[in-house]
Amino acid sequence: MSSLNYLGEYLPIFVFLVIALAFGVVAIAGSWLAAKQKPDAVKLAAYECGFEAFDDARRKFDVRFYLVSILFIIFDLEVAFLFPWAISLSKIGLYGFWSMMLFLAVLTVGFIYEWKKGALEWE
Amino acid sequence: MTPVVFLPALPELFLALASLGLLLIGVLAAPERTAKGIPLLGALALAVTLALVIQAPAGRAEAFYGMFVTDGFAVFAEALVLLAAIATLLAGLRFNAWQGIDRFELPVLVLLSVTGMLAMITANDLISFYIGLELQSLPLYVLAAFKRDSARSTEAGLKYFVLSALSSGLLLFGASLLYGFSAGTSYEAIGHALVQPDAMTAIGAVIGLVFLLAGVAFKLSAAPFHMWTPDVYEGSPTSVTAFFAVGPKVAALAVFARLAFGPFSGLAAAWHDVAWLLCVASLVVGGFAAINQTNLKRMMAYSSISHVGFALMGLAAGTEEGLRGMLVYLGVYTFMNLGTFVVLLGLGRDGAIAESLSDLAGLSKTRPGAALALTIFFLSLAGLPPTAGVFAKMFVLLPALHAGMPGLAILGIVMSAVACFYYLRVVKVMYFDEPGLPLDADVASGTQQAIFALAACVVLFLCVIPGPFLSIAGAAAHTLFP
Amino acid sequence: MSLPVAIVFLPLIAAAMTGLFGRSLGDKLSQLITCLALLAAAALSLFVFQDAVLAHHTQSIVLLRWIDTGPMSVSWGIRVDSLSAVMMLVVTVVSAMVHVYSVGYMAHDKSIPRFMSYLSLFTFAMLMLVTADNFVQLFFGWEGVGLASYLLIGFWFDRPSANAAAIKAFVVNRVGDLGFMLGIFAIFVLFGTFDFTPVFAAAPQMVGKTMAFLSWHPDALTVTGILLLIGAMGKSAQLGLHTWLPDAMEGPTPVSALIHAATMVTAGVFMLCRLSPLLEYAPVVLNTVVVVGATTAIFAATIGLAQTDIKRVIAYSTCSQLGYMFFAAGVSAYPAAMFHLTTHAFFKALLFLAAGSVIHALGGEQDMRKMGGLWKLIPITYALMWIGNLALAGIYPFAGFYSKDIIVDAAYAAGSSFGYYAFILGVAAAFLTSFYSWRLLFMTFHGKARMDAHRLSHVHEAPPVMLVPLFVLALGAIFAGYLGYESFVGAGQAAFWGPSILILPIHQALANAEHLSWMVTHVTLIVGVLGIALAWVFYVVAPGLPGQVAGTFALLYRLFLNKWYVDELYHAVLTRPVGILARWLWKGGDQLVIDGLTTDIPVAATRALSIQFSRLETGYIFHYAYAMLFGVVGLVSWYLVVRP
Repeated sequence: MSSLNYLGEYLPIFVFLVIALAFGVVAIAGSWLAAKQKPDAVKLAAYECGFEAFDDARRKFDVRFYLVSILFIIFDLEVAFLFPWAISLSKIGLYGFWSMMLFLAVLTVGFIYEWKKGALEWE
Repeated sequence: MTPVVFLPALPELFLALASLGLLLIGVLAAPERTAKGIPLLGALALAVTLALVIQAPAGRAEAFYGMFVTDGFAVFAEALVLLAAIATLLAGLRFNAWQGIDRFELPVLVLLSVTGMLAMITANDLISFYIGLELQSLPLYVLAAFKRDSARSTEAGLKYFVLSALSSGLLLFGASLLYGFSAGTSYEAIGHALVQPDAMTAIGAVIGLVFLLAGVAFKLSAAPFHMWTPDVYEGSPTSVTAFFAVGPKVAALAVFARLAFGPFSGLAAAWHDVAWLLCVASLVVGGFAAINQTNLKRMMAYSSISHVGFALMGLAAGTEEGLRGMLVYLGVYTFMNLGTFVVLLGLGRDGAIAESLSDLAGLSKTRPGAALALTIFFLSLAGLPPTAGVFAKMFVLLPALHAGMPGLAILGIVMSAVACFYYLRVVKVMYFDEPGLPLDADVASGTQQAIFALAACVVLFLCVIPGPFLSIAGAAAHTLFP
Repeated sequence: MSLPVAIVFLPLIAAAMTGLFGRSLGDKLSQLITCLALLAAAALSLFVFQDAVLAHHTQSIVLLRWIDTGPMSVSWGIRVDSLSAVMMLVVTVVSAMVHVYSVGYMAHDKSIPRFMSYLSLFTFAMLMLVTADNFVQLFFGWEGVGLASYLLIGFWFDRPSANAAAIKAFVVNRVGDLGFMLGIFAIFVLFGTFDFTPVFAAAPQMVGKTMAFLSWHPDALTVTGILLLIGAMGKSAQLGLHTWLPDAMEGPTPVSALIHAATMVTAGVFMLCRLSPLLEYAPVVLNTVVVVGATTAIFAATIGLAQTDIKRVIAYSTCSQLGYMFFAAGVSAYPAAMFHLTTHAFFKALLFLAAGSVIHALGGEQDMRKMGGLWKLIPITYALMWIGNLALAGIYPFAGFYSKDIIVDAAYAAGSSFGYYAFILGVAAAFLTSFYSWRLLFMTFHGKARMDAHRLSHVHEAPPVMLVPLFVLALGAIFAGYLGYESFVGAGQAAFWGPSILILPIHQALANAEHLSWMVTHVTLIVGVLGIALAWVFYVVAPGLPGQVAGTFALLYRLFLNKWYVDELYHAVLTRPVGILARWLWKGGDQLVIDGLTTDIPVAATRALSIQFSRLETGYIFHYAYAMLFGVVGLVSWYLVVRP
């Protein structure tokens, strides 16, 4: 009984898994059914951040790719913080609200800095 | 819900906001005005913070639901860190311009790092401590590699980053063990759980303690966690090295002491052993390896390792007297070490920094003032009377003796005899060797001279009126012994 | 600021100014500063003398706390009583005269400021010594005069003989100082304080107490007194520790006059008198003092007979006269000792400075065999020499007559076998004294001129700046005895000395000396005249006679000429063995064992360790990471394995 209850707590995750799987399957199957198929060597190759999947590791590449991705991750993580904050906002009160505002303000300062420094411009 | 208290953390909050503000000003204002303006504003912000720290009401105060605590001990350590930061910012002005690294980010990073140090010192919870630690370290990685076109500088930054990440891992592992065995992250909760630990908890907590303190020892550059120090000191721009040599050490030692006499007081035997083992290793490694160095910054790196050993000796005594000795030592160390680096900041030849021993040949003839000041600092570092160094050593050796550790005290004396060699060798080179090529005139500045002259006066005359300084250090130490 | 403080510190200020800034002040200004300071001090001393001695105003001025450590506290103090006031007067007056004299005598020297500075420094130390309020300060002054003496004997440091003499003086004095220091320690052990007043007050209670040294329990006061006596013997060149004084004549003549005749060498006598409240309770010590003093008096006089260096003759005469003072103190006739000290200071300084004038006239010649026939050429010096000699030989009415006579009388009046011993030797020494004094006079001034023609043609009388001090001292040599007799040792002595000197009722040698037969009281005068007569026969009437006598008593003559072989004995018994031992310890002990074990091996080990440790720093980041992990593993193992 107790073990069943224990497993029962994982039910939402299971639901998520099913939906995720279904979403993937539906998307791929839908495109396979609806779109025209014209495969070539490049299209069939595995996707690897814009690089050749199997190649010399010591290739030169533009560091700006990484700059953009790092900047992306920062704001990505910001969202990761925003979700739990949004859910528990009713419980953490004004203190919680202003904490996040402060956090966002700090991020904004960083954002202004990177913008003015030209980090968001490719050329 | 009780309202949040944040007033005791006002200095830290102010500094954090000031650094963000300076970042904005720096990026929005015209570049030709920021090169000098931002460092000066940064020094001003640090000075205001120092005033806020000193002016704070005496006594212990907590903030942010017990995550943060300030007391006399914190004030002492914070004041040292802030003084060091102000001095390095001002003394580095001319040097940074000369080296082409006078970008406005440098002072902002220093400010951020100082914010982290203050947060570490005033942390009262493993989580806030760790945030402080990382906030301290992240800007330091950048600062070490600040001279981007120099291979040695970038190497220094990378080495420090990778090893620091490893040490953070060790530290976090220790912290998680401690959390696991005491069911809390606040210092009070850990301390409470470790007062009467059962056998299992004792072993687990001791291992947690060792890992945690290993992480702290890395920041301290105590042997055997010191390996990064010589490379990073040598590679970083001298203005950054000067900051490296004082700020992080003061903050890390303050954390060590706060942990030792706070949450770990139940495991006194354990941290005690860590302290003296680190002390012995640092004294021996720092003392002997420095002999072989011809690069002054490397030599100072080993010298700082050995001085950390001395400071740890006071801590290893485990008494209030010993803690006072450690604070006295830190205070004196701050002045003599900063002074040394500020002198070095003014020495350059053919556009490159003069950092090898032979560069100092005949300095007494070309720059008599700098040579005299450097002599005073080296005599003090060597612990020779009548400088403050001997006085500081006395205050850590005596507690070790009183605590029944004569072996440690004897080792300290032997190692300071060994240390005399490499300090006095520099003095000999300055006074008795013939000068080589002329030094560059455009590196030295009046600000540097004023700072090292002031430090030299403090080092030379502290013995004359030690009373006020001693009583401040004594009161600061006393706050950790309720 | 009170007068005594000014007297003591004026010379120090002058010494510091000329010593530190002599080069910029120049010769003239340095001379002016030191001479003025000393003349002022001498003038002030007169007032202090009037105040302390005649008005009986004894005071003790505490300047400042010096040492304050638990049970031990020592102050800088100035004690002004009759004893120190007399000494202050003597020291400042003679020193002032010597300062002025030096202006002329040292006129051609290269480093005049240094010389004047040393002289003033010496005066300061001597004043510190005589005004000491406790044993530690006494020792400070004692060492201070020793240092100044060392510096001044070796003043001409480019002469090897001067350096050797300076070192000899210093080392021999160290032997005495060791005794002195042990004596001071004994005082502290016994009395628990260094201050004179409580020590003297407690002295009577210490009679019969013993000290423990290993399993030996000697009488405490005797041990203390003997140890202090050794110190006094060293400084006052008494038998056994006298060898440095003749050699000290290597210094410039003004130095010999001031330090090695008038003042420093009398420090031992002064100390015995100062410690009279202590020594009176230690009869063994007093008897030892008598034997030492009397033996020194005759011993030094015999050597004086055969010397040919004009300064050495006077030096041995000093040694001999100090012996008189010692045995006077030994028979409790402290006032007589102080009296002779005072008169001796004047006439011996006079003799030395007059001898200096002779040497000056002859361009540096000191050997009496190369003098002669000078009396017409330098008549003033000749006359002054006569005055000095008459005073030294104790001829009425010169100063020495009064002081020496009372000493010899007191020795007789003491009535003990020690007293008779001193009396007989004292009379014999008096005879020898007058003989060698006139030997010196006749050899120097009479007979044929034995120097070369060049020297002879340059003989000249000294300049006024040298002669005036001589006249002042000559006045002292003539009148000091007559003027001082009543108050120093006569009816007024009790009032004069007040409480500064203690003589127990059982030691009434001085009082009894008044009631002796005519024969005893005039014996010194008689032998003095006989000595002069004999010298006249030997060196004027029949100049061949000394050679014959020396041939007849060859053994004795050689003994006297070679100073009883004391130097040779010391060399064989002490200096050489110690030298060999020292060399062995240096080469074998220090260089091989100590340097090897404590220096060479650790140096090599340090070097090797340092190379190893810097080799750890490979530059590879993974090595660094390993080191950290090893550190953590090591620390954890420490807890789990070493310290479970």
